[in-house]
Amino acid sequence: MGLLSLLIFLPLAATFLILLLPRSLQSSFKYIALFFTVLQLLLSGYMYTQFDGSATGINQVSGYRFVEQLPWIHLDIGSLGRLEIDYFIGVDGVSLPLLVLSSLVMLMAVGSSWNIQKSPKGYFALLMLLNMAVMGIFAALDFFLFYIFYEVMLFPLYFLIGIWGGANREYAAIKFFIYTLFGSVFMLLVIVGLYFSVINPDTGAHTFNMLHMMNPNNYVEGSFFAYLDNSHTIWGIPARMIGFIVLFVAFAIKVPIVPLHTWLPDAHVEAPTPISIVLAGILLKIGGYGIIRVCMSIFPDATADANWWLGLIGVVSILYGALNALAQKDLKRMIAYSSVSHMGFVLLGLASLTAEGVSGALFQMISHGFLSAALFFLVGVLYDRVHDRYIYNFRGLAGLMPQYTGYVAIAFFASLGLPGFSAFIGEAFVIIGSFNAESVGTGIPRWMAIAGSVGILLSAAYFLWTLQRMYFGQTRLKGGEEWASKLKDLSLREKSILFPALALALVLGIMPSWVFDKMNTSVLNLVSLITAQL
Amino acid sequence: MSGLFNISPIPASILVVGLPFVAFLIQALLGKKSISGIFSLAAIILSTLISGLFVFTDIWQKAPVSYTVDWFTIGNKTVTIGILLNNLTVLMQFIVCIIALPVHIYSKAYMKGDPGIHRYWMYLSLFCFAMLGLTVSKNLFMLYIFWELVGFASYLLIGFWFTKNTATEANKKAFLVNRIGDLGFLIGLSIIFSLFGTWDLLELFGDAGIFAQGIDKNTGLITAAGICFFIGAMAKSAQFPLHVWLPDAMEGPTAVSSLIHAATMVAAGVFLVSSIFPLFNDLVLLLIAIIGSITALSAAYFALCQYDIKKVLAFSTVSQLGYMMVAVGIGAWDAAIFHLATHAFFKCLLFLCAGAVIHEMAHHKEHSGQDFDPQDLRNMGGLRKYMPKTFVLMGMASMALAGFPLTSGYLSKDAIVISAFEWATHQGGLFIILPITLVFVSLLTAFYIGRLMFKAFFGTLRVPKNEQQHVDLHEAPRQMLIPMFFLGICCFFFVFSFNPFSYHQAGILEGFSVQYSFAEVHSLHLAIPTLLTLGTVLVWLVGWNWYVKNRYPLRSDSAFLIWGERQLGLNELYKKAFVDSTMSLTRFSYWWDRHIVDGTVNGAAYVARSISRAIDWIDRYIVDGLVNTIAGTTYYIGHLLRWVQNGRIQNYLGFAFTIILIGIVYLIFR
Repeated sequence: MGLLSLLIFLPLAATFLILLLPRSLQSSFKYIALFFTVLQLLLSGYMYTQFDGSATGINQVSGYRFVEQLPWIHLDIGSLGRLEIDYFIGVDGVSLPLLVLSSLVMLMAVGSSWNIQKSPKGYFALLMLLNMAVMGIFAALDFFLFYIFYEVMLFPLYFLIGIWGGANREYAAIKFFIYTLFGSVFMLLVIVGLYFSVINPDTGAHTFNMLHMMNPNNYVEGSFFAYLDNSHTIWGIPARMIGFIVLFVAFAIKVPIVPLHTWLPDAHVEAPTPISIVLAGILLKIGGYGIIRVCMSIFPDATADANWWLGLIGVVSILYGALNALAQKDLKRMIAYSSVSHMGFVLLGLASLTAEGVSGALFQMISHGFLSAALFFLVGVLYDRVHDRYIYNFRGLAGLMPQYTGYVAIAFFASLGLPGFSAFIGEAFVIIGSFNAESVGTGIPRWMAIAGSVGILLSAAYFLWTLQRMYFGQTRLKGGEEWASKLKDLSLREKSILFPALALALVLGIMPSWVFDKMNTSVLNLVSLITAQL
Repeated sequence: MSGLFNISPIPASILVVGLPFVAFLIQALLGKKSISGIFSLAAIILSTLISGLFVFTDIWQKAPVSYTVDWFTIGNKTVTIGILLNNLTVLMQFIVCIIALPVHIYSKAYMKGDPGIHRYWMYLSLFCFAMLGLTVSKNLFMLYIFWELVGFASYLLIGFWFTKNTATEANKKAFLVNRIGDLGFLIGLSIIFSLFGTWDLLELFGDAGIFAQGIDKNTGLITAAGICFFIGAMAKSAQFPLHVWLPDAMEGPTAVSSLIHAATMVAAGVFLVSSIFPLFNDLVLLLIAIIGSITALSAAYFALCQYDIKKVLAFSTVSQLGYMMVAVGIGAWDAAIFHLATHAFFKCLLFLCAGAVIHEMAHHKEHSGQDFDPQDLRNMGGLRKYMPKTFVLMGMASMALAGFPLTSGYLSKDAIVISAFEWATHQGGLFIILPITLVFVSLLTAFYIGRLMFKAFFGTLRVPKNEQQHVDLHEAPRQMLIPMFFLGICCFFFVFSFNPFSYHQAGILEGFSVQYSFAEVHSLHLAIPTLLTLGTVLVWLVGWNWYVKNRYPLRSDSAFLIWGERQLGLNELYKKAFVDSTMSLTRFSYWWDRHIVDGTVNGAAYVARSISRAIDWIDRYIVDGLVNTIAGTTYYIGHLLRWVQNGRIQNYLGFAFTIILIGIVYLIFR
């Protein structure tokens, strides 16, 4: 069992352990979860240091590290040939930073679950199951395996929102579940289509191996998704474009893009704080990761044709999300919409198909991962104390909770792209890269970059306005003295969760090379893979 | 020991930048435990000494030095950071230090007793770090980072008294307006990256750089880049129409206003356009000159009509920044930097004096138990008697601002105005409007600063005295006066040039030796200064008559004055045009999101549920109904035939007989 498998299945061990222990030991569950997530973070950190930046990744197995490939389901199914599903995992410069991010965010989520009272056994067991699923998604290189992890991820989330959520939790949980399932069901069709179109050049059998799907030579001539001379169409749209669109929609729901984003504010508002953290910190990144790993790498030809639309969707998401965030009166909902806006930068950067833009997009994903986790945690701090997060019910919190306000101010400024913090590097290079796209000739016009930059202005507007309304001014609370006595400043536990996230935002803002050095080669490989199709 | 006292300029300038940052970190860690500001003060003293002894003297008029390290690689492009030391950058760095130092000393007395003073020192050191870093940045990307950081520090300092609503309104406004400029800067960076693939100032604009080798500057993209960078400079240097944040920024502590919003940060825009001067083609330069003169004129008009002493000075700053922009626009960026340098000293002094006045007025307010605005000129008057030293210092600074002979302002303002005339002569035609505007603005400047002096320091105190007829006003404490004296000395000509009447011998101008595109016109060098000086004296006589002799001819409610005080309604216009419309748009988009986008989702769910209800009905009543009908029919038929099987032998025989009878009948009639 390699390190990567260990990383994926450690939380599964935690799940079993928690399930086996009797209820009388339920106070130990959080420590078990903490222990395993710390272990995971150390492991992923170790893997990060061991990873050399020269790995090209993307479409060659030689470009991956920590590769494990075991035959899993190999069946002779008569006239349909041999079924070949492998347990095939590995990491490259795109997935490894996301794995480290996930283990960090999971640790934050466990830390913020400290006061869960309602059946901790089920809660922590499901959280650890979710943990396993997201790790699996980022590591899987076999499409079937990927899909299994992808579906497994849905199941614990549904219960975590639906049982431990707020007042309207059932609605939010179902909405989230159905929305994601809607995307993934069609994804399954494409997976099957790809399976029948691709042949493993070594065994001659059809395969779910994603890397084989990225090589044009492995496609069966005349098959549905055949790479060259493909005349298959559905409603006049080329088959490969259909495949791309279906997969894109599946992942775009997760990102989320406008107009497929409305599950997000509901899920965030209803979910308990730790699940909001996981949702914003990891789940949204699965969308972005899927677009890179699956849509763009398997369908580079369609990507090259469709990137104008991708860019447009990105710009719309940036502006629309920011405008909606500006209109919110619920703090958590505002941050949820700000996520839509910030993830729009990811899409715009990816669509630019320039090395700067794609790297900026990846960096933005990492940065948004822990910044949004920190932001949701900060909302949770307030909600824990007075069970309210309506912006106009608070005023002048700075006088009451100076340290908390300090952390909020740092998190807000980091999120609005103040230089020195990671979001600045991400957003600036998305803008620079997409502006450069017209000179490189990838088909993203310059106005998209300019329109996207307006999102940076709007993000300053909604964060500063919130800061002004809730934290500055004379202290005035809706709950009066009762609230004032409940609104204690941050505890040591809360600070020890927030500090690493914000410190990381600062460190990566000052030393972005710590991430770029690992991902550059993979990004260049990805860009050349797609631009060859232009 | 000689090694210790001979630091080479690059590490020295890194120290200059780094020391305030260290002070910031120490202050941030200590928090309330350290309220003396000793770390910030020590850092800036050391920075000033190092900057003066090891950076400025080593570089000024000598070969430029630079140092670059790779920062990170993105894709296959490497972004560098570095230090660039040439005449312009070391001068700017030194100015920032030498202004920041007296402000720090002054702050120690001025901010004494404030409950948030530990934050004050922290923010001030952060600002110094960012501003000093900005001055020596070697590439545009790094400059942009410091550019935003100074804006952030300015945000923190404007909103220093965060319980005051006006202050938090003002800092938000300042940050957002500056963000507009930052977007311009960012797009400018993108254009430069896309065209040249580098942001290095030396590679772009150095003596052997891309622009020095002669490229076609009249392309659309280069024009766009020029305009974008200028938009950045417009926001930071408060150029019309992006100047609206600066008057509001006066909500911050006065010491901050003097350092950030008068002397250094707002000059960063001028510094930027001077650093990248070769980028601008004639079109952009003309635009810069026009915007600069509009700014100079409009701000001077607004300054005439303000009653708040700090607002008068704020608009005066805007107006003077307009002068500097004009100088850049006509190609005389060395004159812009010269004016930047002289302006930094006298405007900083003006603010510190105003701070001293406000300090005493607020003191008086507290002691006399009356409620009045301590910053309102209408409440002052006769302060000369109570604060003679402040009066003299502020008078000196005012003369420098008005450009009176023997002052530094005289030299730098003449440099701009005369160059503008020469430029206009060279261009011919309507361009002459521009220097005439400058002359007019110069007279307005003399008038408004004279008005401020007359209203504040002459006549009698207009606030009623307390019962004992005792006026509780006295001179500012020594700790505030000493820095003011120092700045007062720097208002004189000899700091910048040994010749009090000709700017040509000014060290700063000689240092840059910029080649102008226009020829020198000798007659102007006598005519303009004479005209300006006579005009200034005349304007002051008028002001004296109006404000001291109380022969005020105008109605205070005239439209001219009211619109001037309200800045022609620009703030209201912006609020209506941009803020309110954006807010309506956000409300609309949220409505759209909830009812249309989410409505579609919920509608789809509703349709799905309705269809499933319909199918349920069909299933229950049609499909299952059919099954039940068949079953029922079968049951009924069975029920019908059941009575036949009743177990009576007679009946069975009867049935058998009947069947046989039917069979016989059938056989007969077949």
